[in-house]
Amino acid sequence: MANSAVRTSAPPAPAIAPRETTAPVRAAGLIPGILLLAVVGYAGKFIEHFIAAYGKAHHLVLPNIEYVLWAILIGLAISNTIGVPAIFRSGVATYEFWLKAGIVLLGARFLLGDVRRLGGVSLILIAIELALALTFMTYLGRAFKLKPKLVTLLAVGSSICGVSAIIAAQGAIDADEEDSSYAIAAILLLGAISLFLFPLVGHVLHLSDHAYGLWAGLAVDNTAEATAAGALYSDAAGKIAVLAKTCRNATIGFIVLGYAIYWASKGQADEVKNKGAFLWRKFPKFVLGFLLISLLATVGFFTKPQLAAVGNLSRWAFLLTFAGVGLRTNLRELSKQGARPFIVGAVGEIVIAVITLGLVFGADHVFHL
Amino acid sequence: MSQPSPLQRVSLDTWAVLLAFAAALLVRFGVLTNIPW
Repeated sequence: MANSAVRTSAPPAPAIAPRETTAPVRAAGLIPGILLLAVVGYAGKFIEHFIAAYGKAHHLVLPNIEYVLWAILIGLAISNTIGVPAIFRSGVATYEFWLKAGIVLLGARFLLGDVRRLGGVSLILIAIELALALTFMTYLGRAFKLKPKLVTLLAVGSSICGVSAIIAAQGAIDADEEDSSYAIAAILLLGAISLFLFPLVGHVLHLSDHAYGLWAGLAVDNTAEATAAGALYSDAAGKIAVLAKTCRNATIGFIVLGYAIYWASKGQADEVKNKGAFLWRKFPKFVLGFLLISLLATVGFFTKPQLAAVGNLSRWAFLLTFAGVGLRTNLRELSKQGARPFIVGAVGEIVIAVITLGLVFGADHVFHL
Repeated sequence: MSQPSPLQRVSLDTWAVLLAFAAALLVRFGVLTNIPW
């Protein structure tokens, strides 16, 4: 994965092994890490069930903490204490792959009517978030005198979809690897913090599943963290968070194209010759996959039990993802990336989170989302 | 520099979509029936 530079303590093993190795050998190299994801994720599920069973057996009212949090905490504990041994790293790095597969499969749990029901109000809020985040982060970065391309990366990362958007923009505007590393670190560290803060705020304000899911999908930047933040609140909130986040992700090609043209006009990036091909290359294909599965579910391609089975496959894919979120986050490594980009990211994220919370809260009361 | 193989030209995104569809089709055509959670 491209973000491995900031997520592991030791030099990361490449997700794709050197070219001399054959595809089967590379695939075999992923197995230990994928098994580790499964073990950590399943341990989270086991702890959730164990606590529920213990409470029931002893007539205790214990808080129902979702496996998502346990899986992330176990992963964080491993990566920040003993570290993830090299043999597991390439497999652990597949967590974004499982995230994307999980989102596609999640399409079976949404009929296209549900997708439409996300509604005009929610889509307007997503557009507002994009415009707000791009503008605010740009001005904030300039005020803190960050390098202009780092400002672009932070703006793209906080407005669209975190790491993927930063990686896409880095190539398109010829930004330094160091700049993207800073931007990714800021987005990931803030994403990790929001995992714990967002559900608390949601519960304190008694947000509905829809309102909370929409807020998490709008304000948490990296797709894995947005999915986890939604799932930590409730299953329904998790679905809405993924949907809102997927809408943001769908704009990645257009925003990156805009910045590529801007930097090319300043002579600081390659000219974009074929805009259509550029858009297709940058467009996240899993969004199309999600819509296609949702379309198949809507036209009755699957029976009801089959829809449930596909939905459960999506849950297993997310279980691997959440384990990966913890295992790939090294807090010490992230904090080494420098204070100023983090401060800009933090101030920007807090402002965006508060404003989007206000918008969602207001829209929920007026339009009953 | 040698050309990437056709497999390497397919993005991670696309592989994820292909895997998801393969799994969904296995469910649809009864190869995978009971997926517990």
